[in-house]
Amino acid sequence: MTIQTDGSANIVLGAEQSFRLLVENVTDYAIIMLDPSGRIASWNPGAEKITGYRQDEILGQYFARFYTPESVNNGDPEQELKQAVEQGRFEYEGWRMRKDGSRFCANIVMSPLRDPQGTLIGFVKITRDLTDKKTDKKKADYARSLIEASLDPLVTIAPDGKITDVNAATEAATGRSRQALIGTDFCEYFTDPEKARNGYQQVFREGQVRDYPLELRRRDGGTTPVLYNASVYRDENGQVVGVFAAARDITERKRAEERIRQQGREILELSTPVMQVWQGVVAVPLIGTLDSQRTQQFMERLLERIVETNSPVALVDIMGVPTIDTQTAQHLIETITAVRLLGAQVVLTGVRPAIAQTLVHLGIDLSGITTRSSLAAGLSVALDLLNLQVVKKSAHR
Amino acid sequence: MAYGNISVIKVRDILLVTVPPDPDDLTVTELQEQVLQAMAVHEAKGLIFNLSTVDTIDSFFARTVTETVKMAALMGGLTVLAGMRASVAITTTQLGLSLGSTLTALDVDRAMDLLGTALRREESSA
Amino acid sequence: MNEPGGGEMRISTENDIVMARKSVREAAVALGFGVTDVTRIVTAASELTRNIYVYAGSGVMRWRSIVFENGIGLELTFADQGPGIADVERAMEPGYSTGKGLGMGLPGAKRLMDEMELHSEPGQGTTVCIRKWLLRR
Repeated sequence: MTIQTDGSANIVLGAEQSFRLLVENVTDYAIIMLDPSGRIASWNPGAEKITGYRQDEILGQYFARFYTPESVNNGDPEQELKQAVEQGRFEYEGWRMRKDGSRFCANIVMSPLRDPQGTLIGFVKITRDLTDKKTDKKKADYARSLIEASLDPLVTIAPDGKITDVNAATEAATGRSRQALIGTDFCEYFTDPEKARNGYQQVFREGQVRDYPLELRRRDGGTTPVLYNASVYRDENGQVVGVFAAARDITERKRAEERIRQQGREILELSTPVMQVWQGVVAVPLIGTLDSQRTQQFMERLLERIVETNSPVALVDIMGVPTIDTQTAQHLIETITAVRLLGAQVVLTGVRPAIAQTLVHLGIDLSGITTRSSLAAGLSVALDLLNLQVVKKSAHR
Repeated sequence: MAYGNISVIKVRDILLVTVPPDPDDLTVTELQEQVLQAMAVHEAKGLIFNLSTVDTIDSFFARTVTETVKMAALMGGLTVLAGMRASVAITTTQLGLSLGSTLTALDVDRAMDLLGTALRREESSA
Repeated sequence: MNEPGGGEMRISTENDIVMARKSVREAAVALGFGVTDVTRIVTAASELTRNIYVYAGSGVMRWRSIVFENGIGLELTFADQGPGIADVERAMEPGYSTGKGLGMGLPGAKRLMDEMELHSEPGQGTTVCIRKWLLRR
């Protein structure tokens, strides 16, 4: 081996030297030579790295060594040699075996080597271990299939607010194709674009956002209430690339909430029925605890019914009310005062000892209000106020 | 007689005053004037304010009405406020206006009955 | 007089009080408030408009509809360049009045509405903002 210089500082290598240098320094590829019968004639560090065989133990061995038993039985090695000879160059991907018996997926290129006269002097075989790549691709494909399978609309948003990727569920939810969506502003698909913008900006600032409510605008003009869970995602260097956001359709939940609210209202109405018990007398038994909202509703219903039925007496029974707080007591007094303004009167019945104590302790003045211990006694007062009298039917007609 | 949209009608010795739906301050003040003048002219013993068409009662209205009731009482007349709407009664109460201890009735009919009873009671005790 | 969504009117004469009531009634009904709530809103507006006329002589009333997640609301703002309120706390007590009024305006309006904000400095005028909410369905 001689080293020549071209007069400058560069070292010029002979062709063979260059080749040797190249082959010796490549560790990601196995570059080997086979003799015409397929025996291994040269080896390189890459081949050792990929297969595990050292040069001293592999030279002279038949190259089928690296094939899986099934491949060998199938006659693959011979087939490949034949193909290389016939076609000139042959490339394929397949499974190979390492020294330790483990398998790897390889990309193989085999070319025949001929002398200037055209005689076959051997083969050069370049093998690349695809295991990682295949796994990476498999992993990537797997991840993507999960994303596409998700029922929740998924979307990635760039720092400038543009959509960078969507899944099938997003296409369905917005009624638009991914081509139409990608590159457009995330905000424009919501009824409140400002709120949407604040949402993803918050994610960029704080790293994540949970249960962020928005109304999605569909292509057909309708809207869907959704809750967003979003977080930032990063590249291998830890730099934030964008926001990954998942929307949860809460239409059903909202409907259920509304049903519950409606039922609550119905229960409220059922539990405070203002009934006309006689001409000029309405009665309402209050049951359960009275909160501010309930008392307010009760007051409106009672007064409306009094006007509707033209009843000057309203019997309000609170036997079914276990406790009462200051605010409720005040609402009750308000109700009684309002009834008076209408031109009617409240007779409060069924005041339990506990309530009586609370009212007195709260300093509530009930002196101007007619009270009785029971609804029945209250009815008696009502009839009296209306100048009515209950008379027993005479025995003979 | 009527002033704009205030109407004061005499029924026997009772004055029936119908208040317009949403009177401005001027009308409310004029109402008081009209009522008291009518009281003087007819020596009415009773006064009924028909509030069935009133949809708002604010503090000015309430104060003027309460004053009128007191003034009418000084002139020998007993007042009944009749036909207040449920929404107005609730709002007035929540606003904190009491309208004093003025008599109230669900409608003009009942107001007449009420006045009749009250005035008869006054006469018999006199 | 009423634009969809909001409006404004000057308060400078006694007649403006009833005009304010009419505008507010229109706005409240348009938003879908029930009859009792409409009465409450109109009465509160009447009280606060009267305060402007009585204490400041003139001012402005603004109204606008506001939207939030569970429904909508009506917001009314009453602003004047009058003498201002020296003692806001006392002003909020029912019955306290520095003028000829009953002292029902501020505390009354607060009771009738869902929210109230008051900004006032002696010599710098007063701004009162009130809101009532209407839940969806």
